[in-house]
Amino acid sequence: MISEFKERIEKRHELGRQLKNDGKKIVACFYGLVPKELIHAAGIVPIQLIEERKSQYEEKSELLPYLCGMSKNLTGQIYADVFDYVDGVMVGTVCDTNRHVLDIWAHRKLFSHLFLVRTPSTASKTAVNYYTAELKRLAGELEKISGTKVTADSLCASIALYNESRELFGRFYDLRPKTALSAESAVYIFSSALVTPVEEHNDMMRRLLSNLATDSGASNDIKLMLCAINLNMAIDVIRMVEKYGGTVVTDDLTHNARYGSNTIDMDGDPFEALARGYLRKVPAPGIYSFEKRATEIKDRMTKAEARGMIYLIQLYCDAYAIEYAILKERFDAWNLPYLKLEAEDNPSSIEQLNVRIQSFVESLL
Amino acid sequence: MAEAQNPEEKVDLKSMMKKLSAGASYRRMMAAHEAGRPICVASAGIPSEIMFAMDVYPIYPESLAAISSGIRKAEEFFGEARARDFSSSVCSYTRCGLGISWTNKCAFGPIPDPDLFMTDVSICCLHVTWWAYLEDHFKKPTFFVDQPATDDPDDPAYIDYYEKQLREMVKFIEDNTGSVFDIERLKETVRNSDLTGLYWKKIMELRKHKPSPASFRHLAGQILPLVTALGEKDAADFYLAFYDHYRDLIKQGVTPAVGGEKYRLIWNGIPIWHNLQVIDYFEKKGANFVWEPYTSLSWGNKTPSGRLDPEDPFRTLAVKYTNVLTNRPIEERFKFFEQAVDEYDVDGMVMFSNRSCRPQSIGQDETVEMFRQKYELPVLIFEGDQADAEGFSWEDAKNKIDGFVEVLEARKR
Repeated sequence: MISEFKERIEKRHELGRQLKNDGKKIVACFYGLVPKELIHAAGIVPIQLIEERKSQYEEKSELLPYLCGMSKNLTGQIYADVFDYVDGVMVGTVCDTNRHVLDIWAHRKLFSHLFLVRTPSTASKTAVNYYTAELKRLAGELEKISGTKVTADSLCASIALYNESRELFGRFYDLRPKTALSAESAVYIFSSALVTPVEEHNDMMRRLLSNLATDSGASNDIKLMLCAINLNMAIDVIRMVEKYGGTVVTDDLTHNARYGSNTIDMDGDPFEALARGYLRKVPAPGIYSFEKRATEIKDRMTKAEARGMIYLIQLYCDAYAIEYAILKERFDAWNLPYLKLEAEDNPSSIEQLNVRIQSFVESLL
Repeated sequence: MAEAQNPEEKVDLKSMMKKLSAGASYRRMMAAHEAGRPICVASAGIPSEIMFAMDVYPIYPESLAAISSGIRKAEEFFGEARARDFSSSVCSYTRCGLGISWTNKCAFGPIPDPDLFMTDVSICCLHVTWWAYLEDHFKKPTFFVDQPATDDPDDPAYIDYYEKQLREMVKFIEDNTGSVFDIERLKETVRNSDLTGLYWKKIMELRKHKPSPASFRHLAGQILPLVTALGEKDAADFYLAFYDHYRDLIKQGVTPAVGGEKYRLIWNGIPIWHNLQVIDYFEKKGANFVWEPYTSLSWGNKTPSGRLDPEDPFRTLAVKYTNVLTNRPIEERFKFFEQAVDEYDVDGMVMFSNRSCRPQSIGQDETVEMFRQKYELPVLIFEGDQADAEGFSWEDAKNKIDGFVEVLEARKR
């Protein structure tokens, strides 16, 4: 079963082209605040833009050297026509880089459809009203791509599907520490959700959950939690942890935290419900309570019996870096054992993490 | 709309400089606190007109960071940020500003314990995180004037949304201080702000004159009241005094470029606060900066008419503060450069690629590309940081400037 998840993420572009050949429209999302439910309700498949581990993409991006690796990698992929099957890109701002890289994509006319989601940073009544209108505006723009009108019913159905995805992931994360499932497999399970039509992934998750057996075998491995934004680097760190006698039993992979953490309450008008469901409800720096964020990390560790946490920052990601420094105040106050790592997504930068991970795991023995 | 002050009524420049210099602003802040006025830590895009109308005294950590950097007293604050594991990839205004908050002092001395925090989201996303942290850490009432990321700041729905929040801002101040809102006072502060913006714009236009009378280095310092005192009559008087001063310099044929103005340049980016001598060096080489988006497009009356309407204060402030240059597509921003090249007769451009300010820096390369393609004028690129001097080499900078001036000179022959 795991191979099915792994294949979805490793062959995502092939599968994306296949969807395109089957007549589907596809909109790529960047970053974690894009309301995928809306895209889905317009009859379009939303996929997440994800980094590819090839250094030439960063070089090809021609972006400023001090911008985050993610924006450079994605821009390089776009220039290399990796996303030639995508009909448009939608950007939901969580940081200045992801917001303004869109300006360059627009300037260079890299996509025929480019959308900036004008997401409020507050959840006041005024903000909800504004965002509800904004979602209706975006729906109108998406309809021009697909020819499918977003109705209240279709939006309700889409929200229900994504809520189901969140619920399935919730069950998965509760169950995972009690199974023999590897941390790397968990990354494939989660990351495949970003690039697979939600109906199909929900089906895969249901089958997985019905087949996952708990493992009562005791392990001497040091149990850890991993917080990370870059999926490739997450896998590297998982492998290093395992090399030194640890195991990652739970995680906070940013995409998942942002898409998986909050079930949308479907009372009333679905556009308004969607607006309420995103405002101040998605864990992103500055627009979500730091107390809640830190507590959720701590609670996840407690549930999974993780003895320590690795917080992995991709170099030049100022949003993640500042969030870490803020959350650290709580981590320190709680005496939570953690290791902060900062690296670029390239072999020499990652290699240097070995010693620090080894020391950290050994310190928990 | 208020008329410009009668040009016959001269305002004394020296006395205005004493009132509104950086040091004087600090003393005014302490006096306001001693007089019992609520103190608000505010971001630079917050309508200070409303705060002054309600007797709230604003402190601007970004300005304090720039000043600290300029007078080489920022290292203490950066040290605080480093000790708390704030990465250098985080904006230097944020790190320095937080250092000021943690230590409760600035480069001039202690700062009062604030009563409120207020931020906008217009200039950058980091403002939200910064002020969310202030709220979380210092536990003071905090108001966020929300401005979602947009590529169309002229959208009426966007401006309506902002305007509604200004009224919420008034309520927030009333609920958290003893202040009571008075529309007539707001009209007065908007009137003062309008005149302030008007005279600032007039000063910018004087730089079309050949030679330009104004040094970008001095303007970078003179911009302070536009950030910190907008709404006070003193700010309007300050710029009127400077306007008269620069007109006098034109009559006298005075120009900052040593030996006469040989080259006229654009500076694209925030000033390098920790090494403003870069500008002096250009001037020593006969080059004047005559136009910058930072001075001409970021502050003042950013409305289509170039004026504010005191009789409709909430609307006029909404139109002004939603007009953020970096929220416009790159091609739209470039039109301002085209206008500047035409009107200011420019010989080249210096671009400061500022790692702290991603909204300003992202898109600069594309601007340079269009500039070169259209005008075939030379461009010099500096990389560095606005307030953090780490990694900046004065020798490298001088070498770059020398090389650039040689190119400018060769083109003149």
